[in-house]
Amino acid sequence: MSADLAATAPAEMAHDHAHDHAHDHAHDHDHDHDHGHADHGHHAVVENNFMGQPNIKLAMWAFLGSECMFFGSLIGTYFFYHGKALVEPMPDKVFSIGITSISTFLLLMSSLTMALGVDSMKQKKRDMARNYLFLTALLGAAFVGFQVYEFSHFVHLGLKLSTSLFGSTFYVMTGFHGGHVTVGVIWLTILAVLIDKGKLNPVKLPINVEVAGLYWHFVDIVWIVIFTFVYLLEFIQ
Amino acid sequence: MSAAHDSHAEHSGQPHSHKAAYIRLGILLTVVTAVELALPFLKTYPQIWDAGQPMWMPLLVALSVFKFGAVVGEFMHLRGDRGIYKFLFLSPLAIAATIFLLLSTLAMRLFLPFGEGLAVTAKDVQAGYVKATKSSGAEPPLADEKFNAAFADAKSKQFVDGKAVFVRVCKVCHGDMGEGKPALGLNLTDDCYKYGGTFKDLYTSVADGRAGNKMPSQGSTLKSEEIRQVVYYVRSLKGTNVAGEPCVGDKVAD
Ligand code: HEC
Repeated sequence: MSADLAATAPAEMAHDHAHDHAHDHAHDHDHDHDHGHADHGHHAVVENNFMGQPNIKLAMWAFLGSECMFFGSLIGTYFFYHGKALVEPMPDKVFSIGITSISTFLLLMSSLTMALGVDSMKQKKRDMARNYLFLTALLGAAFVGFQVYEFSHFVHLGLKLSTSLFGSTFYVMTGFHGGHVTVGVIWLTILAVLIDKGKLNPVKLPINVEVAGLYWHFVDIVWIVIFTFVYLLEFIQ
Repeated sequence: MSAAHDSHAEHSGQPHSHKAAYIRLGILLTVVTAVELALPFLKTYPQIWDAGQPMWMPLLVALSVFKFGAVVGEFMHLRGDRGIYKFLFLSPLAIAATIFLLLSTLAMRLFLPFGEGLAVTAKDVQAGYVKATKSSGAEPPLADEKFNAAFADAKSKQFVDGKAVFVRVCKVCHGDMGEGKPALGLNLTDDCYKYGGTFKDLYTSVADGRAGNKMPSQGSTLKSEEIRQVVYYVRSLKGTNVAGEPCVGDKVAD
């Protein structure tokens, strides 16, 4: 999330003010000048497209759209081969409802703290936003920890990537999800640290946090789907 | 989940906080998840579980769709946001959902034996075997002595093709030589059969599976011809006595 994105943009042009939260605050970051970003001056603004919406947010939604297809096909593939594994262990042998429910709650709560973080940022309560971001990253890291534990437990039970159709489709699907969570954790941590050090351009801060939030919530909804269609389904059969 | 926060609410100055609404939604999502998680425990009450059986699956799907919608609509703010974002996100989502549905129905059509002739079960065995041997003109209908005698010729086509099927499908559980693997598959080289050693017994073991699919049913994945061949091969292993899993079941004379 480099701050230079906007350095060149005199985007005061044809955009409607209704949607441009950041713009109104372009002048109240004087106290930030001593942090070495004075070169952005008070002309730093969020770069908008011709429709008056921030490019970065548009890009994130487009990216999330493509991520839908990505995870859609991974989950679809898991389903296509569900029950076709010839080699033990089978899903009902390895899944444990305890671990899954804890990690599910953690991720759900992290979505709440993320939403609260974005909200605080819009209220210009920067310290509070930073705390929420840290908390979100922490919950996400705990989720990843549970997944690492789960994977090593499964491997211990004899389920490897190459064991069976179940092993391959399961690990690829949940592994990619875990990878996304990890990326999110790193992103949020960096963001929170930068906020803490005052290194980010305050004009663009709200949109940066909002976009990170979109990514984070998306990772959560992917888990909602995996949790229901992969784990719970096994338990109710 | 207040609807108050579309973009116009932020028209002037400081946008108002949605904190309370977010927390309410967080609690609601937690409750919904708790309900989902409680569902499997209903199994301990068989009357309720069985009565509602057709309902559980649609219920789970509905609950997860609700959660999905709530997070996208409220937390991600899509509900009150610009149409362009909705388009960018929802159209690929619709495509992904379509792919998902297509794949899962396709999977059912291809693999679930609901059509005639897709699945081979025990009742087809005798007839199938008779037909196959008649058309090849080789053997008269099955008598177990004949069947046993056929294994004398280890170079027969049955044997060679059957071994290929065994290596491809069965050896992961029953071992390279048929000696079995701990917790995976029985020893097929000793004189004991848990489920009997006649052609029909073995065919049933392979085609229908045993022990709640621990021995997986091959009826829908192998052709009846392949099952027949692998059964020949398996029967030929009897008495080779490769050291492996212990003898389970009754001893069967040759
Ligand atoms: C997923 C592992 C697995 C695979 C793959 C597998 N089996 Fe089995 N098989 C088992 C298990 C486990 C049993 C024992 C079931 C029990 O405990 O009663 C068994 C039992 C059998 C029996 C019955 C033995 C007896 O004593 O009655 C036969 C015959 C058999 N398998 C043949 C085959 C053939 C032929 C194939 C390949 C087409 C095959 N199996 C593939 C796991 C497997």
